[in-house]
Amino acid sequence: MKKESKTSRYLIPAALIVCALAFIVTGILDKEVLTVLRKAAAICMECIGLG
Amino acid sequence: MKNVILWLFGIEESALSDPVTIAAIIASFAVIAAVIAVFIVLAVKRRFRIREWGNKAWQRTKLITQSCFFMLTNSFMVGWFKGTIYQGKLKYLCVPGMNCYSCPGAWGACPIGSLQAIFNDFDAAKSWVDPKTGTYVKVPKYWFAFYVIGLMMLIGAVCGRLVCGLLCPFGWVQDLIYKIPVKKLRLPRDEMRIANSKHPKAVRFFLGLDKYLRYAKYAFLIVMVIFLPLMVKADPWFCKYVCPSGMLLGGIPLMSMNKSLADAAGSLTLLKLCILASLVVISIFLYRPFCRYICPLGAIYSFFNKVSLYRYGIDDASCNRAKGCAACAHACPMGVDPVRDPNSLECIRCGTCAASCPKKAIRPGFRFKTAEGNAIRTKKSK
Ligand code: SF4
Ligand code: SF4
Ligand code: SF4
Repeated sequence: MKKESKTSRYLIPAALIVCALAFIVTGILDKEVLTVLRKAAAICMECIGLG
Repeated sequence: MKNVILWLFGIEESALSDPVTIAAIIASFAVIAAVIAVFIVLAVKRRFRIREWGNKAWQRTKLITQSCFFMLTNSFMVGWFKGTIYQGKLKYLCVPGMNCYSCPGAWGACPIGSLQAIFNDFDAAKSWVDPKTGTYVKVPKYWFAFYVIGLMMLIGAVCGRLVCGLLCPFGWVQDLIYKIPVKKLRLPRDEMRIANSKHPKAVRFFLGLDKYLRYAKYAFLIVMVIFLPLMVKADPWFCKYVCPSGMLLGGIPLMSMNKSLADAAGSLTLLKLCILASLVVISIFLYRPFCRYICPLGAIYSFFNKVSLYRYGIDDASCNRAKGCAACAHACPMGVDPVRDPNSLECIRCGTCAASCPKKAIRPGFRFKTAEGNAIRTKKSK
């Protein structure tokens, strides 16, 4: 069987983590967090089955 | 100090004159302190080293971890005491599991709800009324949810579906229901075991079907969480028409504490109650039906199982598979064979296989090699 390389074992997750952090910063700068807070801080009628 | 508490709890100063609120704040701190103490004890006693404990002890640790994490993320006691929800700034953040933000105790936002909220958002300045039909055409404000997808990606890249195994409240609820002692329906996923099983033909047909039904969660993700909220707008479709977690953690407690909300219940409430009740009944016999077939969050995390930092691996030099052992595959409640595919999309990283292996050959963690120098295989076997 082909041996697993150390690089692929750790490099891929590291790259994904960096990418994820970049996404989070982009989202914050784009004010997506405000949409999240606005929705999350009021009772969501759809969630609780009242439509 | 007072200002920190006001900020943290998202309440006005006048609320502090209410003894119930004060009691709730003290209760919140007590719960958080107790949970942290439990986690410290578990860590000091090395209870998270799955392989070092038998399956029975590990299942206990797992249940304690799930219960404590639920209590930690839902310990806004003001909400539980007064039938309201948390409105403070911590709700900018998403919790890792399916935890409805309308749960009275929830400190954080649900990632799937937040994803739909972002796709639902529209740009009022660019939206317009179609003169022919008179309908208001909403132009999406965001075509991609960088923030929420980034958060899910971060969690996924670190630990994949470990969230499902240990941290998700709805997974925990299903685990508790599955503890009801009745004869269980076990669904092995590979054809050999299905063909050799002693079930009648009709049951064998369903066993085969299970494999395909598991793709349904990806359909729920694409259609109800992304496509419909983005293109049809108006509603968070998954939350509104499917999500049983919202009904269980948000709907039932809030409606039982607020008469005005209970009075507003209608056909949609009934639909969601029916979905919840069906899942509860199925969960008695079949392990985690919601996670298997429906959950869009599990679907997202599943993509990261094979590439996350924390992975399951097999020490092939110790494994007794060649001599016919399959204790791990028989123990797996999700029907995965970890020796064949240690990081299967369906693996919820519950640790049951690792705790059940007599040779301690299943290695969950971050390591590349065992202490003895054996290679740890994280890829599928040929
Ligand atoms: S599949 Fe969904 S509901 Fe199940 S444990 Fe994972 S996140 Fe929670
Ligand atoms: S239980 Fe352990 S020894 Fe047996 S097949 Fe599974 S990994 Fe190998
Ligand atoms: S393979 Fe099965 S038993 Fe092992 S961690 Fe994954 S879901 Fe749990």
